[in-house]
Amino acid sequence: MLLHIGGFRLDTESDRNTPWHQLIPRTRVLCAFLLVFAIALTPNGQWLTWAVYGLAVAAIAVISQVRLLDLIKRVAVEFLFVGLVLLGTLFRSGGEVVWQWGILRITTEGLTVLGSVSLKMLLCLTMLNILVLTTSISNLLHALKELRVPKLLVAILFSMHRYIQVLVDEINCMKKAAQSRNLFAQARGKRLVIGNIMGSLFIRTLERGEQIHQAMLARGYTGLPPVLDPPLSQARDRRALAIVLILVLSGQIFHWQLRSTFN
Amino acid sequence: MLLFNVFCGNQAASFSAVFPVASHLAMHIPDGFLSLPVSLATWLIAIALIAICLNKVQGDYQERAVPLMGVCAAFIFAAQMINFPIPGGTSGHLLGGTLAGVLLGPWAGSLVMTVVFIVQAVLFQDGGITVLGANIFNMGLVGTFGGYFVYETIRKALGWNSWRGIGTGTAIASWVSVFVASLLCAVQLALSGTIALPIALSAMASWHVMIGIGEAVITTIAIGYVYRTRPDLLYKPPRSTTVAKTPVPR
Repeated sequence: MLLHIGGFRLDTESDRNTPWHQLIPRTRVLCAFLLVFAIALTPNGQWLTWAVYGLAVAAIAVISQVRLLDLIKRVAVEFLFVGLVLLGTLFRSGGEVVWQWGILRITTEGLTVLGSVSLKMLLCLTMLNILVLTTSISNLLHALKELRVPKLLVAILFSMHRYIQVLVDEINCMKKAAQSRNLFAQARGKRLVIGNIMGSLFIRTLERGEQIHQAMLARGYTGLPPVLDPPLSQARDRRALAIVLILVLSGQIFHWQLRSTFN
Repeated sequence: MLLFNVFCGNQAASFSAVFPVASHLAMHIPDGFLSLPVSLATWLIAIALIAICLNKVQGDYQERAVPLMGVCAAFIFAAQMINFPIPGGTSGHLLGGTLAGVLLGPWAGSLVMTVVFIVQAVLFQDGGITVLGANIFNMGLVGTFGGYFVYETIRKALGWNSWRGIGTGTAIASWVSVFVASLLCAVQLALSGTIALPIALSAMASWHVMIGIGEAVITTIAIGYVYRTRPDLLYKPPRSTTVAKTPVPR
């Protein structure tokens, strides 16, 4: 987790001027989510559908001009993290037995599921990484608000995002303090110290919350941080959405047409 | 971090697998692992849960809701980053559902956990977006909400105001919530046709028995610390302490 948290700036590619960046954040989020939902919820084995979606994702990657190396690095880290779990999908009954060794056996169905699930995961991760790399966090959260996510929830997300780094620093600081006093020598002692760190961090957190609240009130806080001139949806946004929708539908149609011609 | 568990289940189809499971998976299902019906059903439940939580929290905390819930979510997020040794030889990290429930109550606790999952899914691709509903259902509803009610029941039975009641409740509730959440996750994966039920169940169960113990130990120590130093900060604080001791001045 958080291997790429760095200085907690995720949008390293947000200052380009490409057709993808010219779309308003809401459209980008909508396009990305549409594609991700379509990719992930397509039933296993519809290879042609994913070919269409894969082309769409690749096209967005090219249009948005994200540095491919960065993108691949991030996707690879996230993919490997859960990739090992995928092996569990391989061993199952159903279909023909392709390979058998003792009681371990690999069947055609197992291969189909493994291939489908890893392909889906890879495409979804790539799409979401492009979105996060090209859109700043505050734009992302404002886009969520415009997409009818409850205002209170978005406001909480905003305030959490502001304090993640503060609390991560604080917990690291407390850990360092414990380490420098040699408290992590044994496993049992380590658990005790970490539990206590969390307890005391919670108390500090609540106190900090009160302080933040007072400070916010003193500065005239009304709800969400203001956006300077909210971007309006334009013709190109509608065009982009239409293209993505057509792609999503055509992916499914291709699959069914091919199936009916073969049967 | 990843542990290789070997299972030789002698099930009907004689499955067997060298099944590597990360503590990660149970709690964060990635995109593509769940089918449409399972995703849809869990999303509906999750949305209902979020709506009720938001209403309750707005009512309880009024305008303090935003800063308080925000820092508490950041707290859980930071707490999840610390690795600690689990009895049995590996290391794991806190999931924090029961911790949030005991400290903040079922509604605010579930909301905080939900916020953490949304941030992890949208910003860090840690857990998928299409399966966010399932993740919220497993760890927010069952892990936090369910965990809180297990805790409350035990606390009522063993002594509402005593450490015996609070401590035992916390320990059992955190183990149960992690274990049950992992079983549910296995069932969802099986229903989606991704992993066969016997493999998913046995892998999840055997691995999360240990994860649950780690969770219970750390959560109980953390709650114990709060109980000793600022018992008034617990959700529904024990009566004797709130009256007898004055809070630490700020």
